[in-house]
Parts: sequence; C-alpha cells; structure tokens
Amino acid sequence: MSAPAAVVAEGLSKSYRKWGRTRAFGTLKSALLGRGFGAALAPSETVQALSDVSFTVARGETFGVVGPNGCGKSTLLKLVAGLFKPTAGTIAVTGKVSALIELGAGFHPEISGRENVVINGVMLGLTRKEIERKLPEIVAFSGLEEFIDEPVKTYSSGMYVRLGFAVAVHVDPDVLVVDEVLAVGDEAFAHRCLDTIADFSRRGKTIFFVSHSLALIEELCDRVLYLDHGKTKALGDPRETLAKYRMDVANEEGARLAREHKEEEKIFLEEIPPSPVPVEKPRRWGSREVEITGCRMLDVSGAERYAFRSGESVTFEIAVAPRAPLSDFVFGIGIFTPEDVCVHGTNTELDGFLPSRLDGPAVARVTLPACDLGTGTYLVDVAVHSRREAPYDYWRGACRFQVDSPDRSAGVYRPVRRWAFEGPIALERK
Amino acid sequence: MLKNLASLWRHRALVGVLVSRELKARYRGSVLGFFWSLLNPLLMLAVYSVVFAFIFPGRSASTSPYALFLFTGLLPWNWLAGGLTDAASSLTTHGALLKKILFPAEVLPLVAVAAQGIHFILALPVLGAGLALGAAGVLGPAVPVGWPLVQAVPLFFLEGVFVAGVGLLLAALTVHFRDVKDILATGLSLWFFATPVLYALPDIRSERLRAALLWNPATPFFEAWRDAFFRAVWVAPERWGILVLISFGAFLLGYAFFDRLRDSFPEAV
Repeated sequence: MSAPAAVVAEGLSKSYRKWGRTRAFGTLKSALLGRGFGAALAPSETVQALSDVSFTVARGETFGVVGPNGCGKSTLLKLVAGLFKPTAGTIAVTGKVSALIELGAGFHPEISGRENVVINGVMLGLTRKEIERKLPEIVAFSGLEEFIDEPVKTYSSGMYVRLGFAVAVHVDPDVLVVDEVLAVGDEAFAHRCLDTIADFSRRGKTIFFVSHSLALIEELCDRVLYLDHGKTKALGDPRETLAKYRMDVANEEGARLAREHKEEEKIFLEEIPPSPVPVEKPRRWGSREVEITGCRMLDVSGAERYAFRSGESVTFEIAVAPRAPLSDFVFGIGIFTPEDVCVHGTNTELDGFLPSRLDGPAVARVTLPACDLGTGTYLVDVAVHSRREAPYDYWRGACRFQVDSPDRSAGVYRPVRRWAFEGPIALERK
Repeated sequence: MLKNLASLWRHRALVGVLVSRELKARYRGSVLGFFWSLLNPLLMLAVYSVVFAFIFPGRSASTSPYALFLFTGLLPWNWLAGGLTDAASSLTTHGALLKKILFPAEVLPLVAVAAQGIHFILALPVLGAGLALGAAGVLGPAVPVGWPLVQAVPLFFLEGVFVAGVGLLLAALTVHFRDVKDILATGLSLWFFATPVLYALPDIRSERLRAALLWNPATPFFEAWRDAFFRAVWVAPERWGILVLISFGAFLLGYAFFDRLRDSFPEAV
C-alpha cells in the first residue's frame, strides 16, 4: 500500500447516550430541579456503537464495510463523513468528502428541482458559480429535464433519488461515502449509479462503500471490513472476509431456528385437525397410534444444527413412540421451499424397507450425505403412517433449516458442475 | 470558536440560498406570493388605525397617532419574536439535514433570523406610506419625519445581531430541552409587555417600574426605533454604545454557548 492514505482511523470508538429511564437529556425542568444543568448534559449510560476500530484506506481504493444491522456501519460512515465526532481515537480524512447517505437530503418540497439542486450543491460545498455551471450537466444526468422546474413535492421517489444522486456525484469529491443508495431506483438507474461509481474509482477517487448486497461488495471493493457489535471481526481480502461473514450469518440463523423449533414443539402438543395449510405454520394430524415425539436435524458430527452449507451432510432424526406395539409403519420426510414446492420427498417404503416391529420408543435417522441445495430456507415435513398411507402422525413444517451456497448459481438445486469447452475458445478461471 | 466563525463566513453563500429558499417556499402556492409580505403589515396598520381612531381614541400625546406609534414598535417586535421562534426550532426541524450533510449548524438559526429580517424590510414600504400619511396629519396629529430615519439602517443591523445571538442560544437549548419551545411562547408574550411596544417608556409613571424596564435588553432597541421612526430625533452616542454592547454581547454569548454544544447536535436532534 504505497499510495498515500485517504482515510486513517486509529482506535476509533463511538458511544451514544442512552435514552432510557434516566434520560440524559430530559426536559429543562428535570435538569433544573434534578441533578443540575451540567449533570443533565453529561452522559449517564452509554451504548458502545464502535469500539477500537482501526484501518487505513489508501487513495483510489474502494473500501467496503459489511456486518449485520446495528454493527456500527452507519456510525462509521457518519464518522468518516465528519458528521459525528469520535468518543475516542482519531479519524483523518484527506480531501473533500461527499456522502451519499441519503440522497436528496435537504430538498425542500415546495420549491423547484432546479432551485433545490442549487441549494443542495451549495450545501455540499460548491460555490454558487460552480453549481450554476454544472447545472445543465446535473439535470441531464438525472434525466429530469421536463420536470426540473416543477416543485419537488410532485416528484416520484425515484425521481427524487435520481436528482439527489446527480447532485452528490457532481460535487466531485475526493472521498465518496456510499450507503445503501443503490437499493433504490429502477434497474437502469442502479446501473448508471454503478457505472458512475466505477468511473470514480478509475479516476483514482477513494470510495467508502456500505451495502447489504454482498455480491456488490465483492464485485466493487478492493478490501472489506467486517464489523460485528462495533468491533472489527475481519479486515482484508473481500473473498475471505465475506466468506467469514456468510458463515457467521448461517450459524446465527441456525441458532435462531433451533430456538424457534423448541418453541414450536411446545405449541403443537395438541392435535390439530387437517386443514388446507399455509406453509410456515406447522400443522399436525393423524390417529396417533404412533406419535412423533421429536424431530431434529444433525450435521456430520452428530451435532444439532439448522444452518448448513450447500453440499454438507444433513441428517434428519425422527423420534417416535407407539401407543401399542405394531408392525405396520412407514417413516417419511419431505423437504419443501417456503413456496411449498416439494424439493424432495421419500419414505422407508419407497426406499425399500419392510417394517416388521415397533414395540416402544424408537428413533429413525435419514442422512443425505451431500445436500446439494441452493441458498434459502427450507421446511421439513415428517410423518409416520401405515403402509396404506393412513396417517398415524403427520407433521407439516416440523423443522426449518437454512442453506447457504458459496456461489451465486440460481435455483434450489446446486449440483457440482464441470465445464468443458471445445473449438476456438478460451476462458480463464477468475 | 474563531475558526468556526471563519468557516461560517465561508458558508455565507449557503445562508443566502437558504434564506431565499425559505422566502420562496413560504409563499409558494399562494396567489399573491411575495405581495403578502407587504399586504400583511398593511392590513395590520389598517386594523390598528380603525381600532385606535374610533374604538379606543384619546391616548397620551406622546403616543399619538397611536396606530402609527404601535406600528413602529410592532414591526421590529415581530421580527424579534418571529426570528427567535423560528431560530429556536430551526435545528430540530432540520435535524435530518444535520445528520446527513456536513455544514456549520449555526447556519440554520441564522437563516431563520435573516428570513424574518427580510420580512421586516418588505414591510418598510407600508411603514413609509404610514409615515407619509402621519406627516400629512391624516392619522391624527401630524408626526415629524426627517433625517433621523437613516438611523434605521444601523438599528436594523444591531437588532439582527442581537436576535441572532439569542436565537443561537435558544436553538442550542432546544436540541436538548424540547420544552424551550413552549417556554418561549409564554416568555415572548411576557417579554412583549415588558418591552415598550404598546407604550412609550417615558409614559410609565412609576419610577421603579421604569428603572426595572430598563434592565430589559430589548428596551433600548425599541426606544431607538421610536426615535428613528416616530419621534424623528437622533439617538445619543452613549445609547448607541449600549446598543452595540448588548447586541454583540448577546451574539458572542449565544455563539459561544452554541459552539460548546455543537458536536452534540447531529446525535441529539
């Protein structure tokens, strides 16, 4: 990293005052009657939004920030943009910063688009002359020539954002701070935004990029910072950092699903009559000659888990207890998408097993050694029924699990692929 | 603080465009537009003329014609009250802006005060017409009109500095204590009666009350406005000194307070 630094953060921390019961800023009355004016302005309880984050962004680098909601991304952006002051540590930004935090912030609804552009431009640090010179260019970029003299309150939200983006990029900043702005606007505009950002990057400008679209981050960024609870979880190569982030998200999801699963078990002890079922909501029916007492999912090591990477081994475990010993039983499972498309369904009968006895509580496990599913949430039906398909206990949506696929191929099935090419053709691995 | 004042000076263009936005937006959608700035005081003058000519006639000689007397006090008072009210809520109403765009926050209260100042200026033609009528004796006893009118220029500037100072203080306070807005409404009406707007200071008979009213920092301004517009006399140099002291004192105090709390605004609004 020989290029001079555009953004240097050292030991950056930021805490917010809490607006709890002991409101730090209550009312004037409470301040005067209570602990006194000075005390009223002093923080009592704080929330740590960022703690000890350090990084350097070189000039011309595109730097991405990822993390779950509430991890401190927005706080970091506001610190970089100079809107907030750090509680501890330092942040130094070289050059002019333009923040695309909210496009069109400060547009006044009653006055025309043209006048708003001038005001917005001056607010973002241009002189009146500069903004008036750039005005035609900005209007052309936004594609709002026909409407530019109408008051902005008549604009659609898309038009609003287009005009805001047009102003923000024409301020010609050295450091561009982009927060999730590409989530708005139509496809064509999103492409134009991306082109503009790519163009910025080519011209050696520094871009500070926050998005929940990991694909976009991977595509655009040179380096990625992964924040979690205000702390640096990983920093560096986009592929590695994002892989770590994806894995953490899947595990988090799994823990949540396992908790939900426990709750569901408690709720559905009562028999519920069959009904046309909306998915997601488990429904259960059957004669209960055999009762399903539990359903779990296990990974290759036998640990209970509800989040898997595509291709991993997945085991479904069904625990049952018969009311009386019997010899006519079939175990079945079905995997469904939330849209109720059957991904796979099988039972012991179809797989060639002939039941002979079930005398007491027992457990059945079925393992899919390579669960080649695409990214998404799946629901599992489990059932015990007679060989003539009279249900003993049929449980819809007994479990839910999450699959995360490392690549971006489409569909519920993610098989292993091998490509081959013949003829005058050349491709290279990325 | 000096560095921030310098940065404020660099952002004067922003104050300019925001004031013009404020004015444009206010009358956008109304048929008469800017004309309202003229029409409002005109209607006000007409109402007071009728009321005090026919309904409550017979005031003291020092305040007649009372309609004109009242008008010369109400105009600068409306600026003061309107400016402070708008300035106090300026940071909280534009809070979204403070969180998203980097610019000196003091711009917002200053814009509020300046916009009200423009309304004051737009009402001056009506005052001019009133003075012309007053000088001709149409409204009652003829009023003197003459060169002391030019004192309005420095007075306008000084009142602007004074209102800006108090406005900055109130704006900063309102961010942390939303009750300021409510207190201000009552406070302003109390202040209104404690300021020689409805009456002339020399007409107060009680010596002690008069002395007490002199402690009101707004009193010297309104006495000076009356001297310029109504009595057509020159304001003595020592009174100018007091005005300069009050206005700049208020500004420095207000600005220093604002500056101290500045960093807390984007988070607290």
